[in-house]
Amino acid sequence: MKFKIAKNVLFAALQRVQNVVAARTTLPILSNVLLNAEKGRISLCTTDLEVSVKCSAEASVQKQGATTLPARRLASIVRELPDKPIAIEVDDKNIATLECNSSYFKIIGMSEDEFPPMSMPEGQYTYALDQGRLKDMLGKTVYAASTDETRHVLNGALLNFKGNKLSVVATDGRRLALVEHEMEVPREAETEVVLPTKALAELMHTLSEQGTVKVRSDGNKIAFEFDDVIVTSKVIEGTYPNYRQVIPGPAEQRVTVERETLLAALKRVSLVTTDKANAARLTFTNNSIVVSTTSPDVGEARETVPVKYTGKDITVAFNPEYVMDPLRTLTCDEIYIEITDDLSPGVIKCETPFLYVLMPMRVT
Amino acid sequence: MGPDTHIRVLPDVVANQIAAGEVVERPASVLKELIENAVDAGATRIEVEVAAGGRKLVAVRDNGGGMDRDDALLCVERHATSKIRDVRDIEAVRTLGFRGEALAAIAAVSRFRLVTATRDGAGTELEISGGRMEAVRETGAPRGTSVEVRDLFFNVPARRKFLRSHQTEVFHLRAAFILQALAHPGTAMALKNDGRAIYALGPADDVMVRVREIFGADYAAHLRPARHGAAGVAVRGCVGVPSFSRADRGEQYLFVNGRPTGAPLIGHAIREGYRTLLPGDRHPCVFLFVETDPGQVDINVHPAKKEVRFRQPGEVRDAVIAAIAAALGSPAAAAGRAPAPAPAPPAADAGPRLQIVDLPYGRAFQYPRRPIRDLAATDAAVPGPFEETGIESAGTGPAAAPSPSSPDAGRTSPSPASISPPSPWSWCRVLGQVGGLYVVLETEDGYVLMDPHAGHERVLFERFMADIDGEAVPSQSLLLPQTVALPPRDAQRVRGCLDLLRRMGFGVSEFGGDTFVVDAMPAYFSGADAAPILGELAAAAEEGGRSAGEGRGREEAVARAACRAAVRSRDRLTLEEIERLVVELAQAAMPYTCPHGRPTLVFTSFRELSRRFGRG
Repeated sequence: MKFKIAKNVLFAALQRVQNVVAARTTLPILSNVLLNAEKGRISLCTTDLEVSVKCSAEASVQKQGATTLPARRLASIVRELPDKPIAIEVDDKNIATLECNSSYFKIIGMSEDEFPPMSMPEGQYTYALDQGRLKDMLGKTVYAASTDETRHVLNGALLNFKGNKLSVVATDGRRLALVEHEMEVPREAETEVVLPTKALAELMHTLSEQGTVKVRSDGNKIAFEFDDVIVTSKVIEGTYPNYRQVIPGPAEQRVTVERETLLAALKRVSLVTTDKANAARLTFTNNSIVVSTTSPDVGEARETVPVKYTGKDITVAFNPEYVMDPLRTLTCDEIYIEITDDLSPGVIKCETPFLYVLMPMRVT
Repeated sequence: MGPDTHIRVLPDVVANQIAAGEVVERPASVLKELIENAVDAGATRIEVEVAAGGRKLVAVRDNGGGMDRDDALLCVERHATSKIRDVRDIEAVRTLGFRGEALAAIAAVSRFRLVTATRDGAGTELEISGGRMEAVRETGAPRGTSVEVRDLFFNVPARRKFLRSHQTEVFHLRAAFILQALAHPGTAMALKNDGRAIYALGPADDVMVRVREIFGADYAAHLRPARHGAAGVAVRGCVGVPSFSRADRGEQYLFVNGRPTGAPLIGHAIREGYRTLLPGDRHPCVFLFVETDPGQVDINVHPAKKEVRFRQPGEVRDAVIAAIAAALGSPAAAAGRAPAPAPAPPAADAGPRLQIVDLPYGRAFQYPRRPIRDLAATDAAVPGPFEETGIESAGTGPAAAPSPSSPDAGRTSPSPASISPPSPWSWCRVLGQVGGLYVVLETEDGYVLMDPHAGHERVLFERFMADIDGEAVPSQSLLLPQTVALPPRDAQRVRGCLDLLRRMGFGVSEFGGDTFVVDAMPAYFSGADAAPILGELAAAAEEGGRSAGEGRGREEAVARAACRAAVRSRDRLTLEEIERLVVELAQAAMPYTCPHGRPTLVFTSFRELSRRFGRG
């Protein structure tokens, strides 16, 4: 294998794929990147057996072939090289020589035969979406996914292509985030998959703002193709809870709040909570929301956020982190909070099709 | 003359009542005897009905061989049995009963009705009240025997007084039924309580099927089939994976030649089979059938046959250990565990690695196999964030938090040899992680190995208890209430402490049967799954109630269990979390052990190191 490639092109490609590489893994080959030189292009591929990322770039290939090289080390070397073309040649013992300007490196690789092959889903139907849109939808939900490994099916986000829309849902059993986007979904192509958190992070890392992403799934695997990148992932097996059931009916009170004002108030009052599990009380009263926290060891804090509200006084306690999470990721100026009483779920909405349900805390 | 003091032979009725004292302890023992008789009669279908906790009615109907009129009359006589003929037969008993005491004893203390027929149509009906034959008549009946025991102990008020609450007796009846149902998976069995069907078990050719029917599919998913045969001893059944352990032996079911029994020997063998897999205070769930030549077993040791002895204990012991090892060592043992946190290793190293996955949480190998953070990448950064995250709050400042509590902590510390410093540290930094679990810390006068799970349990426990004392446990509601089905024993225990659990922030309520709904959890455990915690709590509440006898003890037991369960589910921590844990542990009232008494910190002083390196 022998090829020449611009430094910036190679570095950008390595950056796209190296995130997947586990820092320490049981299988040495998984810390390597698979390099494949074909006609006029090279492809780079990494995997952790769950998520795989493949990226291709233009190169002048003199001799086709493949090998694997340590991904992180290669990326560190390439980063430091001068902005000149890099010539890479690999012998049949998988030893790579890398030359660039006055620099010379010899790197020991491993045979490409041991690298787990990337398998693409066999799904018939391909959905096309705007990349920026998908990235935005994932960003608005992913924080709500569970990190408790005993609740396997919640360790990711549900992608539900059904009823002529894509719904992305994430929940940890305490709160739930849902974003919807209308798109054409033929009846026979309706499907739902749970995408693991790691794949979500990878997508958020590699998706760009423009262009189209093609999504294909066969129920076991899912693939995202965009620009010169393919991200494939296993999907989480199991039945995702029926999220529709969680969405409460019409609430008694609806309040419009300035997002940043409320977020800032919550940030400040949560400084006196001792543990992130501590509760923040939201009191909806005459034309204001009073946000307060109390902690026996530290003290207390209170913020008043002005709103238009003339309903009855309601006090409800939430985990402040749970309220701040959606406020951080939304971009709109105003949000709507819907509440009924201190035991019923609270709902956050905004102008775009976004819905966030969170359960109150009972403070005995 | 005073009262008559001549010695006389007691009338049979009295003798039977005395015998009843040994055989019939409570309604559940009646049920056991009747089901065993039905099984011995070759029944393929047994229907059981009880009412009012068995006081009013215990009825067992079978489709076995039945009896003719003469046998029916004989069977209620004392020491009348079809099962043995002379003393030599005891050596080789294959039936469940043999002493011929049971029916006579039961009939002596109840209103007893027996209908039996050897073929469909002509049958015999007996009615006995308090041991006196009231009626014998011909009657139409299907093949088989049906026994109704009403008003148990109606003529023995002393016994009646010892019966416990309705609920408790039903619990014992169910336990007896489950035991028999497990012992005879090939027999269809049904149980009705106060007219409501509780179990309807079809005939099964494997005990696993029956376990699934009784305990549920979730439960059965944690069991692995066990089978071993050698030297005249065959062992079969199923055993639970180590991560599915219990705080007591309540779910160890042993059967010797089809007879539910216990044998200290087998208990030791089970212990041995799990020795390296479970800590000393945890017990596996096992359902084991030991089959051996009847001549090799002495069952006539205990009147209720609760214990047996073996003539060749060594063989039995080895067979049980081998069966457990085979069940847990096979690849199938590992395959079934639901969450596999790390990417599945390739087939080539599958063998030994997969066994590790089945080790219980909290023990070495479950902790991140990946490093907490890539040390090479963050080496330089380690001291930086550490100073920021405020080790000073742990005591760089003069009035450090841990110092006031330290004398007390030092005194209660269990092994002062390994934990010598008077206070944890006035500064420290995280050096890394060893053994995939333990965190290495450097302090001003030595290095410390910390078990982060134990440490986390301690921190959580103290915070939780403080809130319980302050009667302000924040409770996080759940979006989707979780239903949790528990095994009958655990369900009974949870039912007994619902109020306590609610006070501690668990939103638990009954959902009918042995199922509970959890709609809120204490905020500290908000990330965790309710189901395992609930089972853990049940055992803890029971234990706490027994040992302490007052509220605080029970609360502590529950808190301990909850903390353990919550911490177990965390098997990945970030460096920042570790650092925060170090700070919080330093501030704990008792930082040196976890609430269960295991050490959290092992300290080695620099002086000790120098001594070992021969530097004086």
